[in-house]
Amino acid sequence: MVEKGQTKTFARKFVPRIIKAALLVIITYLPLYFLSAFIEPFQGFFPWYMPTTNIFAAVFMIFLVVGVFTSGTIYQYVFGVARALVTMMFFIYVLNGGIIALAVPVGGASVNVMVDLRVILAMLVLTCLLGIGKNVVQAIDFVSARVETKEL
Amino acid sequence: MRYVVRALGWATKIVWILMIFFAATSVYSALNVKMGFGQPQVFPSSGCMIISVPLFVNNTGLYDLSELNMTVTVTDCNKSLVSTSATFVPSIPRGSSVETAHNVSLSLEDITSKLLDYLFNDSVFNLDLSLKLNFARAIPFQVSTNMTMPWGAPLYNFSIGQISYNFLNFTHQEAIIPTSFENHSPYFDVDGTMRVEIYNDNATAPDNGELLGLSTSNLNVPSHSGYDGQVETIVDVLKVTGSGEVHFYFETSAFIIGPVVMPYG
Repeated sequence: MVEKGQTKTFARKFVPRIIKAALLVIITYLPLYFLSAFIEPFQGFFPWYMPTTNIFAAVFMIFLVVGVFTSGTIYQYVFGVARALVTMMFFIYVLNGGIIALAVPVGGASVNVMVDLRVILAMLVLTCLLGIGKNVVQAIDFVSARVETKEL
Repeated sequence: MRYVVRALGWATKIVWILMIFFAATSVYSALNVKMGFGQPQVFPSSGCMIISVPLFVNNTGLYDLSELNMTVTVTDCNKSLVSTSATFVPSIPRGSSVETAHNVSLSLEDITSKLLDYLFNDSVFNLDLSLKLNFARAIPFQVSTNMTMPWGAPLYNFSIGQISYNFLNFTHQEAIIPTSFENHSPYFDVDGTMRVEIYNDNATAPDNGELLGLSTSNLNVPSHSGYDGQVETIVDVLKVTGSGEVHFYFETSAFIIGPVVMPYG
């Protein structure tokens, strides 16, 4: 009887989280999938993109799932910060520090293309820093709320 | 604290939305910028050869293009600078188009003074092309390449044959100098005049040679064709020696050079 109750509590607690995590993983994976499909014809010019994206997607989703499962604890925010850091590092790596230089073969000649995406990278890093800041403030709020609850 | 978290959350969302919007519209705009080059035209102009490359940019995107800078540097096979030229367009607003021409000027007089053999020997020039522009005043973009341009000598294989003499009278003879060359230049015709001066090898003369006679003939040698003619000059019989020099002075629409000294005998 007790075991049945525990199973029910476990199911009530974790099934919504599993569904939420699965949905978030699908939602996160879709843009990456479409971006990869869009990049596919030009993959020869960005050989570093595919493996990096796969590793990033895997790490990001692990942090996302763990974050969902640890929601209601301080670890939720720790994983949130980790996720934002990974995203930031991914963008810095994939955009090559903001300067993308490619050598495109055109009719026997090599055409060098250089795009300076530092403004875009700065905006991306700013977004990630805002995400980190938000998670840190949320973590402080969470801890202070718990301390207040304990004191009461 | 909740307000701070909420504000940060909204700020993050707004920055993400702006980012995605800017990235999507930038890609869309970049795909809507049409840029191309027209057929290059080459024409000689008072000692210069001008290669004019028409350039058009049609900006139907959502953002302005600015600081378009096209640079072409021409070097010879020894990496010596032959010419450098730049075209600058300060701004191409969205929805507008610009048509301009990039002119590469090759001073043939410079070439003759530095590298005379380009008039007589075929070669290859290296062209370094660079195109820079600022997209949406935020994303600098640069395309560069290098290519080779074959250079055909306008006076390739210039030579004179054996000089022969026609008897005129006891004091003067007609010297006939066979002259030939090939105009390998794909860019211009050799049209103008060729002045010829014949000198003997009299060592007592001020310039180690006395002028025997001179004549001027017209030249009209189209691109990729040969010239095989003869120059006739009346010379003083008493001054004729077995050997000497023939000085050629070319005055064409593309270049002016001289003397080109050819020994005879």
